Amino acid sequence: MKPYRANLMLCAGTGCVSNHSFLVREALEKEIKKRGLENEIQVVITGCDGFCAEGPLLIVQPENIFYCRLTEKDVPLLVEEHFIKGRPVKKLMYTPPDAKAPVPKMNDIGFFKGQMLVALRNRGLIDPENIDEAIARDAYKAIAKVLTSMSPEEVIQEIKDSGLRGRGGGGFPTGIKWESCRNAEGEPKYVICNADEGDPGAFMDRNIIESDPHSVLEGMVIGAYAIGVSEGYVYIRHEYPLARDRLHIAIDQARDYGLLGKNIFDTGFNFDIEIVRGAGAFVCGESTALMASIEGRVGEPRAKYVHTVEHGLWNLPTCLNNVETWANVPGIINRGAEWFASIGTGDISESPWGGSKGTKVFSLTGKVYNTGLVEVPMGITLRDIVFEVGGGIPDGKEFKSVQTGGPSGGFLPADLLDLQVDFEQLTEAGSMMGSGGMVVMDEDNCMVDMARYFLAFTQGESCGKCTPCRDGVKAMLEILIRITEGKGVEEDLDLLEELSHFVIDSSLCALGGSAPNPVLTSLKYFREEYEAHIRDKKCPARACRQLNVYTIDPEICVSKGHGCGVCRRECPDNAITGEKNKTHFINQDACEKCGVCFDVCKFDAIQIT
Amino acid sequence: MPKLKIEDLQKISDKVRRTTLLREGAGRAKVTVHMGTCGISAGARKILDALLKIIEEKDVKDIILVTSGCAGLCSREPMVTVELKDETPVKYVDLTEDKIRKIFTDHVLEGHIVTDYALAIGSERTR
Amino acid sequence: MITVTIDGQKTEVEKETTILKAADKLGIKIPTLCYNELIEPYAACRLCIVEVIRGKRSRLVTACNYPLRQPVEVRTNSERVMKLRRMNLELLMARAPAAKIVRELAAEMGIEKTRFTIDNPEETCILCGLCVQVCENLVGTGAISFTDRGPDRKVATPYDVTSDACILCGACAHFCPTGHIQMTDIEERILHSELTLGPNTAISIPFRQAIPNAPRINPDYCIHMKTGGCEICSQVCPKECINYDDKDEFEEIEVSAVIVATGFQDFDPAPMKQFGYGKYANVLSAGEFEQMNNAASPTSGRIVLENGEEPRSIAILHCIGSRDDNYHKYCSRVCCMYALKFAHLVKEKTEAEVYQLYIDMRAFGKGYEEFYQRLLSEGVHVIRGKGAEIIPAPPDESSEGNLLVHCEDTLISKFREIPVDMVILCTALEARKDAPELARKLNISTGADGWYIEAHPKLAPVSTTTDGIYLAGACQGPKDIPDSVAQGAAAAGHVIKILNQGELLMDAAYAVIQEEYCSGCKMCNGLCPYTAISFDEEKKVSVINAALCKACGTCVAACPSGAIVARHFTDEQIYAQIEGILV
Repeated sequence: MKPYRANLMLCAGTGCVSNHSFLVREALEKEIKKRGLENEIQVVITGCDGFCAEGPLLIVQPENIFYCRLTEKDVPLLVEEHFIKGRPVKKLMYTPPDAKAPVPKMNDIGFFKGQMLVALRNRGLIDPENIDEAIARDAYKAIAKVLTSMSPEEVIQEIKDSGLRGRGGGGFPTGIKWESCRNAEGEPKYVICNADEGDPGAFMDRNIIESDPHSVLEGMVIGAYAIGVSEGYVYIRHEYPLARDRLHIAIDQARDYGLLGKNIFDTGFNFDIEIVRGAGAFVCGESTALMASIEGRVGEPRAKYVHTVEHGLWNLPTCLNNVETWANVPGIINRGAEWFASIGTGDISESPWGGSKGTKVFSLTGKVYNTGLVEVPMGITLRDIVFEVGGGIPDGKEFKSVQTGGPSGGFLPADLLDLQVDFEQLTEAGSMMGSGGMVVMDEDNCMVDMARYFLAFTQGESCGKCTPCRDGVKAMLEILIRITEGKGVEEDLDLLEELSHFVIDSSLCALGGSAPNPVLTSLKYFREEYEAHIRDKKCPARACRQLNVYTIDPEICVSKGHGCGVCRRECPDNAITGEKNKTHFINQDACEKCGVCFDVCKFDAIQIT
Repeated sequence: MPKLKIEDLQKISDKVRRTTLLREGAGRAKVTVHMGTCGISAGARKILDALLKIIEEKDVKDIILVTSGCAGLCSREPMVTVELKDETPVKYVDLTEDKIRKIFTDHVLEGHIVTDYALAIGSERTR
Repeated sequence: MITVTIDGQKTEVEKETTILKAADKLGIKIPTLCYNELIEPYAACRLCIVEVIRGKRSRLVTACNYPLRQPVEVRTNSERVMKLRRMNLELLMARAPAAKIVRELAAEMGIEKTRFTIDNPEETCILCGLCVQVCENLVGTGAISFTDRGPDRKVATPYDVTSDACILCGACAHFCPTGHIQMTDIEERILHSELTLGPNTAISIPFRQAIPNAPRINPDYCIHMKTGGCEICSQVCPKECINYDDKDEFEEIEVSAVIVATGFQDFDPAPMKQFGYGKYANVLSAGEFEQMNNAASPTSGRIVLENGEEPRSIAILHCIGSRDDNYHKYCSRVCCMYALKFAHLVKEKTEAEVYQLYIDMRAFGKGYEEFYQRLLSEGVHVIRGKGAEIIPAPPDESSEGNLLVHCEDTLISKFREIPVDMVILCTALEARKDAPELARKLNISTGADGWYIEAHPKLAPVSTTTDGIYLAGACQGPKDIPDSVAQGAAAAGHVIKILNQGELLMDAAYAVIQEEYCSGCKMCNGLCPYTAISFDEEKKVSVINAALCKACGTCVAACPSGAIVARHFTDEQIYAQIEGILV
């Protein structure tokens, strides 16, 4: 094998690919060849590094130099300076928001420093389409271990001892789920990997599959052995073509190596995995709806007071876990339950619900510097995630709220920033762990408007089967729209609350059961914003445009803008009058409050009151 | 492809070991070739090539080879720094291909510092 | 058995009994909208939510599907439950303000009007899903389903168009609690699918005016026969007439005579691509058109196009599959006259123009020519020339008809292009596909076209070569109704003659086996076309049944030992005859 002196780990997650990382790859390979370095330096395509805001990303190993926002134009300089002259190129490195100098090493960047990689341990380190590289990073070692030296009961005990809980949102103790499925009557049994990640802006599962599909497959094999299963499914959403392709490649390679299929490692254990493609319904992330979809029926949740571990797919015992849960399993087997349980909060010796162990992958989005994908230890405070890993709020704005757990998660206020991230504490505060979406909001976000936004999402994704979720959420959304348009009345708040509890209490599945969370938490922590909308007909964050009054400061308009007239031309309602070098004026009767004038004025002459 | 046996996992792992170590930045030893303008004009490129060749010949898997800029002592180039794990780095100066071969076999592989070619033990870099 | 307390009343129920059933036993009514005993609980309306209390824990569950497993306390009318129920009904009132059942339930709870937005004041569908469940799980057709999602969810057929999967069973309408699904809707939408002969539902009267005129279950379609489920019919039949155990049976009947009156089958014009039958909706076969004219048809005897409109013009094409070298060379005999009848019906019922495209007009019977003349005076266009092709009219030329019929008018030697809305194909009468099979069974014969052959075309047109078996009607060849009736009467007369005689007159000429010469080789057994020869195992000789023997002489010629003698045709008699001729 040719010894390379450097590996260029180029991120090819969906984020970086859409930022043209494949163009960078082409340029790199061309330039390296031109310089005759093709036998010394290798370009490796990796899964997502998580720092999607700064893509395309390139990490040069072994030096651990981190380059970001690369374009193909940067490539000749980079190769000349770094790979020929050995001088890393500062201007292509990452500079943290408040710092003056760039940070060369990946491990020193706050975004990466605060993270702890368990499920994502191989991200950026292996080519996800090459099983050998995964094996060199200990993939499939855990299968060898359980198949040769552990009984299924011991595996289940190990998972129980680790304190691993479902990462898909429910937080059900994984070991107990496996055990119930193992003990359930009925043959054959199935394991399913839920990769139907539908939360807007969340891409934890996609990332894991794209960067290290083998960890998921290995986790499923181990689970299958522990439960006594020979058939597994990965239900992956149609919108994840890259993840699906990599998973296909990984499964093919694993089959070639006999790591899937009949008689794995000559132990007589058989297990194989089939990929099922979802068709883009959010509700199919719900386990019974997902199973209905695999069976070829309409993806609707099923109302039954029996667990899917007993009557799941085709009415047979089925163990469904989320991608991240499966990906955590090999690490627990390799490094031991004790190691895993040492990370996180609480005490699981009394009850498996007593603590949250291990790490959690979050997709950090919204008003933070470092948006992207982060894996952090359980028990980390929200403050650390937002301000250390996330780098704080951009543009000197004030933090207002963070929503955890996807579109059905609650909004947590600044007072709760020191809340530790674990299943119980988040639930208690009115939010949830969910599958790991995390949206940060600043002073410019109106909480009523945000609640409306997320409710509009859940309404659109409701399957419509049960009355509360279909018609209750619709009624709530109508009220919220009313309030954001300044047509709300005082009684609306009580009605909203009543409806919220009705929807939570009587919905068929968790989609409806959690949809009102944004409304309830915003009512609880940001009630004054609702009151301002209703009583004063004002939106404090000025996000609800229907409540804004747009006026033009004549002073600024003339002195700075010289009556440039951009606003007049852009106004779709022709509500603005004025001429060059004179101040402009908005006719309030004609103004439809679209806010275009505010957006286009370069001189900040448009005022909102 | 033949079906894997458990021991094959280790074989594959060994095969790709060099790559993975390279990426993790962890090896038994790190050899830095200083490749500033001075180094390049003094023949650092040849030293780098020679090192790559030796590594391939000897099929060494746990050595990391990196390049860096000028070390400041331009008159004594080509120069390399050899850093064994948990040991102080050693700088070698005025190198030729023969010298580097000896340094590699004696110091990097066997652990004996080649004092004849060494400039100093220790590093001026502070971190 | 476990003891549960519902609203303070104690009762014992089997484990896994649902709360709804347990409450019903106690006479406690829990309101439901999406529940029906025949169907697995769908638990979508959430109206039946009750509170289950065990120790200090209280839980809200749907009564329709919550199985009782432990001794628990259930409250069906606690304040918490009632609050949810009120809100639920208020929301449903906003969704389906015109649904009577919702209004009534709401009124019971003291709700007169809803606080929520009403999108459609006429809406009656509450999306309970009963219809979809019935169609998919009980009927097994899956013709309707939910489409779209969230608040836009609705019940529909695929792509909102009439679905061939619908078997018009009406189960959905029967189960709908609000009357949202009406059978009248379906009747209007589905028109021509009913025009095919034969049943397409599991229960039907086999054909119109069947005797007995009673419905029967088709086991190929019946869900119950397939799965053991469904049984909707027995649930709805007020007279308990449904008997699932009735099975098709084979019965053996001993008879003295047989009349074969198996009729003909219609020629399928689909392979004649030029006519577009099966491709264009308004190209009908004569049989289909005849059915449409029946007062009991889905159109109530009206002549309409597929879209329900009256046609502006109709072409009737003669000799489809008959008098055609590629299909049947014979003349189907009846088409000319029924085509004229069709023209008459069209003229009587509609304003449409009628074009007859014929090769030769064969109006041969009594009064037929007069009928033809009358039709001509009614303004029916007759064109001597066979229809060549039917194509859809280009949009800019569709003002007079949506189809174009190409033909050659041989009387004026011109090609013509006739625009019409509807085409009727006068398809050939052909022998039934299974005619040869029956012929083998009955020991009678068929001609090259498959029609049964009579014993003598002039002297015995009703008899067959097998005694006691007679032919009647179109199984013998194309025949109209008067001819068929006449032949039927003749066959009946023959049979009555046999039955009254009590004995069978047989021909004196038949073959006899001389036992002393028979070697028992059995060669003659298989050769006899009338299966008259059998083998006597005891005597080890072959025996001829004189009643079956037709004296054809095959066995006589074939017997290697010369053991068989044909009576009246013995060697001596034949020699004598030869001698008589020669001398």
